[in-house]
Amino acid sequence: MATALEPEAASPEVHVVPTKARAGFRPTPAGWAARSLAVALPGLIVVWYVHHYAPVRADFLAGGVIIAIGALSLNVLVGYTGQISLGHQAFIGIGAFTSAYFIGESGQSFYVGMIAAIVVGAVQAVVLGLIALRVRGLYFALVTLAWGFVGEQSIFQLKSFTGGGAGAHATRPGGFTTDRMFLVFCAIVLTLILLVDWRLVATKAGRALQAIRENPQVAANYGINVKGYTLFSFAVAGVYAGLAGALFASRRDTVSATDLSFYLVALPYLLVTVVGGLRRRGGIVVFAMLFVLGGEYLPDLAKSLHIKFIQENAGNIIQSLSGVLAVLTLIFQPDGVGTITAPIGRWLKGERFSMHVSAGGGAEGVSVRP
Amino acid sequence: MQGVGFVIARPIVQGLASGAAVGLVAVGLVLVYKSSRVFNFAAGEFVTLGAFGTYLADFWLPFGLAVIVGIATGAIAGLLTERLVVRPLSSRPKVTILVATVAIAFAIIPIEIIRSSKTQAFPARPIVHGNAFQIFRVFVSWQQLIIVLALVVVGAGLAYFFNRTDLGLATLASSQEPTATRLMGIRLNRISMLVWGMAGALGGLAGVLLPPLNLNFFAGFGTTDVLIAAFTAAVLGGMTSVPGAFVGGVLLGIVQAGALANVNSNKFPGAPSVAVLAVLVIVLVVRPTGLLGKEA
Repeated sequence: MATALEPEAASPEVHVVPTKARAGFRPTPAGWAARSLAVALPGLIVVWYVHHYAPVRADFLAGGVIIAIGALSLNVLVGYTGQISLGHQAFIGIGAFTSAYFIGESGQSFYVGMIAAIVVGAVQAVVLGLIALRVRGLYFALVTLAWGFVGEQSIFQLKSFTGGGAGAHATRPGGFTTDRMFLVFCAIVLTLILLVDWRLVATKAGRALQAIRENPQVAANYGINVKGYTLFSFAVAGVYAGLAGALFASRRDTVSATDLSFYLVALPYLLVTVVGGLRRRGGIVVFAMLFVLGGEYLPDLAKSLHIKFIQENAGNIIQSLSGVLAVLTLIFQPDGVGTITAPIGRWLKGERFSMHVSAGGGAEGVSVRP
Repeated sequence: MQGVGFVIARPIVQGLASGAAVGLVAVGLVLVYKSSRVFNFAAGEFVTLGAFGTYLADFWLPFGLAVIVGIATGAIAGLLTERLVVRPLSSRPKVTILVATVAIAFAIIPIEIIRSSKTQAFPARPIVHGNAFQIFRVFVSWQQLIIVLALVVVGAGLAYFFNRTDLGLATLASSQEPTATRLMGIRLNRISMLVWGMAGALGGLAGVLLPPLNLNFFAGFGTTDVLIAAFTAAVLGGMTSVPGAFVGGVLLGIVQAGALANVNSNKFPGAPSVAVLAVLVIVLVVRPTGLLGKEA
């Protein structure tokens, strides 16, 4: 079985010819009703739950959405471009501090800060991309790791830029100041990013990136601008990360260097991307939410079970378990846990329910028209 | 005035000692890379576990035994990593194994944080207290001297192992021609276990020796403070050269100590990490084979 990290991984998906069963099958009205219900019911439960138990829960959900956006940014690099990044605390943090600088220091509106975060995030990503043109694979992972620590230990500590240890202030966008409305705002941004990401992989750029990931030399021979597309993908990852950073800064009103460490940002985001499944947007978003909700609900659960140890250390236990889960995923389910839910996704799209992993031709992965 | 000798000698003395400890970790990385072409991002946690092993064993055992416990903790961590994670993934792309070793570090650090919830930093005990001698008015502590001595001893031991023993020859052979080595009746799995065990023990040794320089250590310090320096040292030395990793570690230690001593940390914080990134990028772009490496 091909691994998600493996360049060849996408090739079986590319050559999928629609089978007879798939082309001819149309669900009955009752089938469509069942599918709509399957989408609507969990959605309603989530909406009801957030409505009832907000605002604390809404704040955590917003945190999950931000992790999802950051993980989607990593997905562009690791999944689409095939370049691993271990320094995403710099990607997210530069966006966060840029946004906070424009909002807190210069007194601009949130949207100005957000646009500045996008621009600066893209610029720093492209600079790293220039290095990635020369240094590939494992060695590039080292460069990103070092870049992350430069961000954490040097850039984020600059007093004039980030306020040093005290942190920088950033307000929330007007009209979205409550926790619940801020969650709505984060969800809107996530939806936009998912749309952009979907169009990115479904169009010419996505095919070019896939060709480059599998073999840069062959891609160049087919007339693909390898340098241009590599830098383009870094810019896209930088834009996503800048957005995630702007939301990160505004979520808690202040942002400081200790919130943006290797351990708290780069590692969890990478594992969410890997466990959720590379090139599986849905899987990444779902696992990001599970990661946050696990840390949020485990203390309650432990309290009701009277296990004090788990209650006090819930966050760390969740982190440790996701590390173990990531290793297990890589060994036993190399395409990410998204493959487990992929049959459900295809069923919802109006296909016959089947457990075959490759039958859908990349329901969420890189979809290429035959 | 402290004198020119002091200004030059102090970063060299400090960098030599911390760089020697980083060099030990770098050698572990090089051994693993040579034998299985894997970048081991769990190496930083071998260091932290070694430090923790010594710290915890010191409550129960005489200090000499606690040091051995620390080294053994690192070695056991290395063996478990090989057996439970690297071997099941051995046929997969190297990037997959890299991510898996990152995940190992991510699984271990929270456990250390739970252990350290009451005290943020743990005191680290030097093997011998006090200063050994003074050079250009710079005090050289026994601990610094012992670290450099450890590096020399380990270097001599590895040179003897690879040049004079059959097992060392088998290890070298398995990294150059795995298939032919296997046909000669050498069990590659055992060689792999041996290499990971050695890498873990070197990490554990660094975890015993390094923390006393800063007087204490904290959860995850191996990954956040040591790992990238060790990788950069290994790349600087050529990634496949054991002597290169030693030289790279010492050179990088001096560069970092120099950056720390000569840059105003209020105006420009984090100079050592910037120096590491600069060295890494320059080496990878200008001379990817490193100082002593034979291949990229």
